[in-house]
Formats: sequence, C-alpha cells, structure tokens
Amino acid sequence: MEVQWAVEMFYYSLITTYTIVILLFIYKTRKPPKISTDGGVHQGMDRREKIWMYSLITVAIIGNIIFFSPLIPSMQYNIYLDEEPVKTIVIRMEDHRFILPEEPIVIPLGEPVEFKVYSEDLTYGFGVFREDGMLVFQMQVVPGYENRLVWIFTEPGNYTIRSTEYSGPEHPYMYIEDAIVVEEVG
Amino acid sequence: MGPREKLALKYVLAGVFWLGVAGIEGILMRLRILNLLTEIYTPEHYYAMMTVHPFVGIYGWAYMAVMGAFYYLVPVVLKKDLYSEWVANLAWYVMMAGVLITWLSGFLFSYSPLYTLYWPLPVVEYNGIQQIVFGFGSALIFISVLMFFFNMFATIFLPQRGAGGAGYVAKELLTLAFNLDKLKAKTKGIKEYLPRVNNYPVFVVGVFRGCVDTTLNAIVLLLVSLTIGVYGITEVLGNELSPSLIDPLIYKNVFWWGLDLIADGNVLIFTAATWYFLVPLLTNQPLFGENVVRSVILADLVISLFVWNHHMMSDTPQPLFLLVQGQIFTWGELITMGLTMFAVLMTIWRARPVEYSPALLAIVLSILGYAMGGSAGMIQANIAMNRYFHNTQWVIGIHGHIQLLAGLSLTIFAAIYALAPILTGKEMDRRLSYLHIVLFFVGAVVMGLSQGAAGAAGMLRRTLYFNGEYAGYMTVAAIGSFLMAVGFLIFLYNFVKTYGFKSVIEVLKP
Repeated sequence: MEVQWAVEMFYYSLITTYTIVILLFIYKTRKPPKISTDGGVHQGMDRREKIWMYSLITVAIIGNIIFFSPLIPSMQYNIYLDEEPVKTIVIRMEDHRFILPEEPIVIPLGEPVEFKVYSEDLTYGFGVFREDGMLVFQMQVVPGYENRLVWIFTEPGNYTIRSTEYSGPEHPYMYIEDAIVVEEVG
Repeated sequence: MGPREKLALKYVLAGVFWLGVAGIEGILMRLRILNLLTEIYTPEHYYAMMTVHPFVGIYGWAYMAVMGAFYYLVPVVLKKDLYSEWVANLAWYVMMAGVLITWLSGFLFSYSPLYTLYWPLPVVEYNGIQQIVFGFGSALIFISVLMFFFNMFATIFLPQRGAGGAGYVAKELLTLAFNLDKLKAKTKGIKEYLPRVNNYPVFVVGVFRGCVDTTLNAIVLLLVSLTIGVYGITEVLGNELSPSLIDPLIYKNVFWWGLDLIADGNVLIFTAATWYFLVPLLTNQPLFGENVVRSVILADLVISLFVWNHHMMSDTPQPLFLLVQGQIFTWGELITMGLTMFAVLMTIWRARPVEYSPALLAIVLSILGYAMGGSAGMIQANIAMNRYFHNTQWVIGIHGHIQLLAGLSLTIFAAIYALAPILTGKEMDRRLSYLHIVLFFVGAVVMGLSQGAAGAAGMLRRTLYFNGEYAGYMTVAAIGSFLMAVGFLIFLYNFVKTYGFKSVIEVLKP
C-alpha cells in the first residue's frame, strides 16, 4: 500500500472518531447529569486531566518513534541506508526550466539512486510523479546549495518530473513527462 | 452605544468586509483551478490573487476581528480604559490602508510572489513599482499590528491606584505570565502568591502572551516588507541592489521563524484565550483547571518559538539537527492544544444541562475543526512524511483551510455572536445563526477534505493543471466553498436585518 493511502485511511478513521465524540458530547451535555458532578475550582491538576495529558505525551512519543523509524521509505533511504547509490543524477534548474543530463535518465529498479539538483536563480521544487499522478517524492531546490536525496524505485515505468515549489506564474508549466524511466535489471 | 463599543464594532465590520473579499477570491480561484473563466482570468491574475488572498484573509479578516474584540474586552475585563482610543482608531485606518494597498499590488500591479516570498523571487521577477506598492502596503499592515501591541501592553501595564509604579506592575505581570508566582509561593513557604496589582484573568494572560508572538512576527515581516520596498526603490532609481546580498536559506529560516509565530503562536494562544473567556461566560461555570491552562499558554508561547523547521523539512541543505528539533517541538502542540480543548470541554461538561446558543455551538465546532486540521498538520510536519505531502493540496486544504475556517473563523464568529448583543443590546435571529454556523463548518470541512484527498493523490498546491487532472476532487472542493459562501451570506443578511444598514454606516463614520 502507498504511504499516502495508508495515511489517508488512518486520518479518516481519526476524524470520524472526533466527530462522533463531539456529537455525543453535544447530546450528553444538553441533558442534566444523573449524579451531581464535582463543583468548585481545581487549584492543582485534576486526575482526569493528568490521565489525558499522559495520553497525549504517549501519543507524541509513539508518533515520533514511528516517524523517525525506517518503517517509512523516505527515512529508510535517507537516514538508515548503508548501501552506496548505484547512480547519481545531476539536474540543473534555471529560468523556469529543467536542464537534464544529456543521457536519458534510466534507473535500475530496486537500487538506490542519488539525485543532486541545483538551481541557478530561484527557489524551485523537484518532484517525481507516477503515471497516475501520485507523488513518489519531492524536495525543495534552494539556489546556491546542493539539494540531495536518495531514493529506491519499487515500480518499473515512466515517471514525470515537476517543480513542486512556486517560482512565478510560469511555475505550472515546469514539468517534463516521462523524464525518468525505471527498468528492471537483468 | 459608547466609543468603546463603536471602536470594537468598527473593527469587526471591517473584518467581515475583508472576509467577504477573501471569500470571493477563494471562489474565483476554485473556478479557475477547474479551468473555467480562462479567457478573462490568466495565470498571472490567478497567482496575484493567490498572493493577496492570505493577507486579506489573515490580516483583513482575522486580525481586524480579533483586534476589535480585544480592544473592547481587555479594558472591560480589567475594569480600565483602553490606553489610547486615538491610537486604536488610527491603527484601524493604517490596517485598512495596508490591506487595501497590498490587495491593489495584486489587482492592479499583478505582483505575485505568493505570501511565502521565497528569496529572491520577490525582487528578481517583478519591477520596482510592483515591489514598492507591495512593500508599502504590507509594511502598513505590520505597523498597525505593532500599534495594537503597544495599546494592549500599555492598557495592561497601566498602573492601578495603590498598585505601585508601572515598573512594579510590569514585574508582577511578568511574574504571572511566566508562572513565577508558583515559584515565589514555594520559596516563601506560602500557599499562594497574590500580587498587589490585578490578579490578571487567564484571558488577559493569554492576550499578553499571544501579543509576544504577534509582535515578533510583525517585526520580522515588517523587515521583509521594507527589504522588498528598498529593493524596489533602488531599482526605480537605477541603482539596483544585488539579490545575492541575502542568502536564500538563511532568509527562509528567518522568514518562517517570524511567520510561524502567527500560525503556531498567536492563532493558538488567542484562540485559547478567547475560548477561556467565552465558555465560562456562556455556561456560567468557572473555567476548568485555570492554573493548568496558564501554564499551557506559557508552554504554547515557548513551543511557538521553536517550530518553524516544520516548514523546511523538504529543504535538504537544512542541518538535520534543526529538522529533528522542529519535528519534536511540533508534537508539543498536540499536548498544549489537547490540554486547552480538554479544559474547555470539561468546563462545558460541568455546566450540564447546557443550552447551545449559536456562540457555544460555534466554539464546540471550532474545537472539532482545530482537531481535524491539527491532526492533518501533525501527520505531515515531520521529516518522513514531508517527502510525500509537502506543497501538496493536503497541506493547504485539510490542514490550513480546515484550521483557519472551521477552527479560527468559527471561534471569531462565536465571539461576534456572544459580544454583539452586549455591544448593541440586540441578538441576531437564532435559527439563521445556527444555519450559518452549520453551513460554514460543513462547507469548510468538505472543501478541506476534498483538497486533502487530491493532495494524497499527488495534486500540488499553487499549481494550475490544464488537462483536467484532479477535476473531480476540485469540483467537490468548489461545492464546499459555495456552502460556506451561502452560510456567510446568511450571516450578513441576519446581521443587517438585526442591526439595520443605517447602524452599520453609523459605526463606520469617523
């Protein structure tokens, strides 16, 4: 399953839960309590509030553990990968154009490849998209810096590159279809 | 109606006017992204509109409405006069002029570097006149914000009779603002430290802490505006400054640090302060865990100073330790906002049975809006997920717009519904008010969710597609925006029907 779809499913479950809780809350709070609740003002932290706070802290810790882990491909490729990239692809961007290498960009399936993208003038973005429009990965391209990223393609096919950062009204025209071909080796 | 009430209403009316402008812009952009109106609406127009849209929506609508409410509420809560009504009135004109000129920089001069203003785009792709108009307009906006800050601080700091000098009041306020009262009580071995000045309500502490973020933000963005203006002037004079004088990455860090003090600082703090004020007022119940929420607001202020890196997760030259720090601090917002929501909901829970007035319903729905938008933000504000979601429609739709429309805007509408009867003695028609709130909320969620789904499918923000890509998602988003527009028109009708057009004109007269 794609990372984006997994995230979407998780997110929709979350907001459905929120909505049900809030609707139940509105329903319940319109009725008088069955037994008298504790009145007055709490000076310290209420027990329920402590439980809630520790729950939030737990969620934050688990969230960080998951997002820093190699479970997510982008982290695995750029933080945890020991293998050296089998190929380096250098792309330049200038005057709202991609300047690709002279040779066609052909990438072996399942092997780490390194992208180095340079901008000669403005801040751009570098995004790689599948044929169905799904974003595979992207990064910002800051002028005057080396913008580097390692990726492993897991599906063969043709990929479109597109600038993912606005750089003036010419921005929506900054794309090249089938700029990258991913092939099975052997 | 006294001058204090008139001042507040003048700000709120201006805010509502700019919300209407932002709404029209939003609908036009929705239509353009569906490749409609292409003959009269070029990409240049589209991006110029997109550049001014957040200025109109944030500063014209949200800031003006919030300023109006706080100019009224802070003196009322403290039982004092506003330090300077003259400055507050002047700030209204400065803000109106600032938003109008910024808007004109897009409408007349097609200035379109977007609100992100990534260096060197604002100065290399546009001529000197465009830069000067935009720089001047946006500088006025931030000057007005600084005038607001001055007035709030002066009002809060003004010495009370028998309370000592301004220095003493300032010291005591800072003691409360940074929770040093608890420390003093412990070191002195007493149960509770009570300063001789006002025992500042949590609402005022929230305003004070939010103003810290607001001021830092205004200073940074004022410097950016002036920089663009200076580059424009030098170009017009034929003595162009080189864009290479400023490093794009360092600029981006400074810019996001300043800008994020709005998004993750004053919006959350001001929202919390407004909930803390309105919910006890509407439920006649003391705020749950007031001492805890004072600490939560402080935590929010501290966290807001360290979260800007979540906007730079896709900048690979950015040092990794900064990205890691940004990610961890951003999760802190889950804890602070979660505790804020808990305190508000517990206050309502303890007030059972509750009658849901339009204001209270708007608050509860705004909590749901913040929960939805905030969760989407948490999902993408980390190094791993940013590769897949940065600059997609997910960020601006499901996170940005649900947060700003279903969360922040409904909080402001709650304040309008709660305060308008106090200011004018008349209440708006309840059925129409409920209809407005529900349509606005549902419209914002429908629009945001469909944008988010488009983002997950790979659709970028700030990008026009010319071959019908993602058109299904964008059609549903347009339906959501129309629902919001209908809700807003119902609000306007209700407002004018209740208060009369003449009263509206009367409020706006100098």
